[in-house]
Order: sequence, then C-alpha cells, then structure tokens
Amino acid sequence: MTLSHYLAVSTALFLIGLFGALTRRNILGILMGIELMFNAANINLAAFNRFLHPSGFVGSAVAVFIIAVAAAEIVVGLALVVAIYRAQGTLYTEDIHLLKG
Amino acid sequence: MMEAAFYSLTAITLLSALGVVLARNTLHAALLLGLCLAGVGGLFATLGADFLFGGQILIYVGGIAVLMTFVVMLAGRASELHLRQVNDQWLAALLICGVTFMGMQKIIDSFSNTRAPATTTATTAGVGRILLDEFAVPFEIISVILVAALVGAVVFSRPRAKRDRS
Repeated sequence: MTLSHYLAVSTALFLIGLFGALTRRNILGILMGIELMFNAANINLAAFNRFLHPSGFVGSAVAVFIIAVAAAEIVVGLALVVAIYRAQGTLYTEDIHLLKG
Repeated sequence: MMEAAFYSLTAITLLSALGVVLARNTLHAALLLGLCLAGVGGLFATLGADFLFGGQILIYVGGIAVLMTFVVMLAGRASELHLRQVNDQWLAALLICGVTFMGMQKIIDSFSNTRAPATTTATTAGVGRILLDEFAVPFEIISVILVAALVGAVVFSRPRAKRDRS
C-alpha cells in the first residue's frame, strides 16, 4: 500500500462527485455529488496524516471540522430543497427560474 | 490482509458512488450514498484513523444519509421515476473530469514510493487534545455554525402561512 493508492481512490471519488454535481437534473442529486466530494477530501486528509505525519493528529482534526461543516451545509441545503419544493412544486433545476424574469 | 481490505472497500465505495451519480431513481441514489459513505468509513479504518471511522459512521451514515432518504421520500413523486436524470451537458462534464484527472495524475505519481510506517497510533486521544488546545477557537466557531444551521433549517422549513403572520 502506497500513498498513491489512497490518492487515486480519493481522486476517483472526487471526480465522480464532480460529474454528479455537474450533470444531475435533480437538486438532491447535486447535493449528493457535493457530499461525495467532501468525502474524497477527507480521505486525502486522513491518508496524508497516516503516511507523511504518522505521529501527528492535525489531519484527523481538520477532517473532523470538514465533517461538521458538511453536516451543517447539508442540513441547510435540505431545508432549502424542502422550501423550494413547497413553493415551486419541482426539484428539477431547469424549472427553477424565478430570477430569470 | 490490508490489501484485500483496501481493494474491497475501494470497489464498494467507487461502485456505489457511480450508482449515486447515475441511478435513475433518486431513492436508490440516496440508499447507495449511505453505502458509499460507509465504504469511506472503512477506508478511514484501514488508514488507522479510528476517530474519523466512528464519526463517519455516526454523522454521515447515521445522520446525513438518513436525512437525505427522508427528503427524497418527502419531496419526490412516483411519476418522476421514469424521467431522464442527466442534463444535456454531460459530455462537457466528462471532459472537465478527464482534464482534472490528467492534472491529478501527476500528483498521484509523485507519491508512488511513499509507504506507510508499520506502527499505528490511536488517534482519538490526540484529536481530542488538539481540538481543545490548538484548535480551540475553530472548535467554538464550529459550534456556532451548527447552531446557526439548526436555526436556519427550522426557519426555512416552517410552513409559509405561519411565517407570514409573524
């Protein structure tokens, strides 16, 4: 096991999430893609901590902060999704064009 | 042993992530997201990050994936199961991903000889100490952010009639 194995996994996960966030028509799908990208970043932090600074804990601590911010982001995002669905009756991004005039 | 765990967890994580992105049924995507997050938790375990493993299972699999499933069930309609879920820009998105991968590959290659040290140290005690010592201020700010997120979620998801009256 080398560090590049873990970096390859996290890159693949990040790119899958990026593809999902760019191409999904459903807002929920976009939020899921963003979650995948957060997780890829966390794998990177844990892997660099384990391979390059095995006696330190900063990588894990920063990953904890990322998990907390991701949780806050997803809570607000899902509340917004519910509010949009209640107001507009749709979850598809091309139908949400209130500001387009 | 380590290799088998790593490769099986990688297969679970990446295949379910592909399912999240490509599944037509949003509910299936939400359930696969839970599996993918659990796989990432397993990868944390292979890295010896035991605190992150526990946090990942508790917060992501137990919280975020379940919340996502709730919202899909609240806000979805059965008639949407047959709609196309991918927009017209998928080719451009694929190109962006490919170009990004080319760039990342150089970074990945430069670490191909870095091997892990044999011994692992338990991280939980160290993370706790660092959170309350070096990172005490960000730790407090995170708690403010979480409270703000809670209040914001309640405000946004209140019924409209009640909000107008107040």
